[in-house]
Amino acid sequence: MCEDTRELMEEVASLSPKLSVETFDFVADAAVAAQYGIDKIPAIAVVRTDAPVTNRGVRLYGIPSGYEFSTLIEDIRLVSTGDLGLNAQTLQELDALPGPIDIQVFVTPTCPYCPRAVLLAHRLALASDKVNASMVEATEFPQLANRYQVYGVPRTVVNDVIHVEGAVPEDMLMGKMKVLDDAPALFKLRQRWEANLN
Amino acid sequence: MNLNLSNSGLEQPGANYDVIIIGGGPAGATAALYTARAELRTLVIDKGLGSGALGITHKIANYPGILGDISGADLLQRMRQQAESFGATFLQDKVQSVDLMAETKTVFGNSGVFTARAVIISTGSMGRGQRVPGEDELLGRGVSYCATCDAAFFKGQTVAVAGNSDEAVEEALFLTRFAKQVHLLSPTPELKAPAELVHEFASKPGAIVHPGAALRAVEGDGRVENIRFATRHQGEQTLPVSGVFIYLQGGRPITDFLQGQLQVSETGCLVVDAEYRTPLPGVFAVGDVLCNHVKQAVVAAAEGAVAAMAVEKQLHGRKQLAVDWAK
Repeated sequence: MCEDTRELMEEVASLSPKLSVETFDFVADAAVAAQYGIDKIPAIAVVRTDAPVTNRGVRLYGIPSGYEFSTLIEDIRLVSTGDLGLNAQTLQELDALPGPIDIQVFVTPTCPYCPRAVLLAHRLALASDKVNASMVEATEFPQLANRYQVYGVPRTVVNDVIHVEGAVPEDMLMGKMKVLDDAPALFKLRQRWEANLN
Repeated sequence: MNLNLSNSGLEQPGANYDVIIIGGGPAGATAALYTARAELRTLVIDKGLGSGALGITHKIANYPGILGDISGADLLQRMRQQAESFGATFLQDKVQSVDLMAETKTVFGNSGVFTARAVIISTGSMGRGQRVPGEDELLGRGVSYCATCDAAFFKGQTVAVAGNSDEAVEEALFLTRFAKQVHLLSPTPELKAPAELVHEFASKPGAIVHPGAALRAVEGDGRVENIRFATRHQGEQTLPVSGVFIYLQGGRPITDFLQGQLQVSETGCLVVDAEYRTPLPGVFAVGDVLCNHVKQAVVAAAEGAVAAMAVEKQLHGRKQLAVDWAK
């Protein structure tokens, strides 16, 4: 899949002089992977070339095919324009939440409403430096799908312990993430999550 | 590379349609007839002729202008053909979710993502009321409403599909490509889906049809392990499955795909003004999905006509409804 992903990125980049692709080897360029917080492949980081390197932001794990191709294109637009379209309350709530926040959105390429869930997570990552948001193609990473017990998509997983089914609206996801600011509730969720792992 | 880039909704910038009508019953089909005739690019997304209240009605004798008995499906087919003759497009698909807050409305179906400047909701009232025990708790843990999305997680496993509509059988058919065994539980002795579709499903290896089987519960510890269902002759039984895909119908307005973007009344219906406008700009609702609505095909059709004129008024910036655009 890595070769197909590289080819796809090069084809997309050839469409505009504003786009460029840099390809890294996960093993030989481990330091670069670490800088971008990449822990599995194939991986795509959509970043502005004029922005500092960071291990947070917009990531796509697995080839963005099927419906997820539209996510990639929209990601490029979001990163480029910064026009995120999040409402003011979301931004306020996000600002108040403790970081770091890691959001993984599990998808399949045949899921028409998965892009909506991924793009919401990616918008949050672009709105706040404390958020990292990744699309994870569940069939390409079965070990992760198993770890998070994904049997339906989209499934949004926040900091391992908050699990949200479906492409929920912005205010609903923010509502679910409020628990990040509630230490006792978060502790219970983590305990339950760890018990499930064993 | 075969990346299946079609239907990604990105082929055309901006809105693909002027108006998308969700639900192709008498309200939706009549709205489509009027918007298409007003030269608005019109898409109707509908789950299938037999998915709504009119489509499954055996005889209609009180639809004005139609003498003698006609089946609901035949009457609906005529309405659709009339709308198509003016340029409306009908697509058989199920709307999974929508984004109605922005100026351009986005509609997410199983087969694609569609955008429009206005949306008319005419989804009717054959939605489910009560869920079966275990369904909510095991959602995403083996309970699913989208086989297209989730079938890949059930490779080589045994699954059940509950429902008797075109949609239920099509999803069951899709699942036969992945699962080892697919049990189709029809709540009625006869399925409502076309016989050829049922036959196509039944002829697949591992396909089993259970007529008159009522889904009673979904069970499992953290993930689906069994379902319980009852038939008149054999009583209640337990079937070990790892997934259950639910497409059952009932008597409640279908609004779940809105995910709270529009408020519903206590009885679950949508509230509109005299021009069938919902509180969201560019979003209209007609037919059985409404509160204070008389459940008759002719009433639904009339509401569809008025809403279509209101859409046209809005999109063309008119101050008043235009009644006949041909003049």
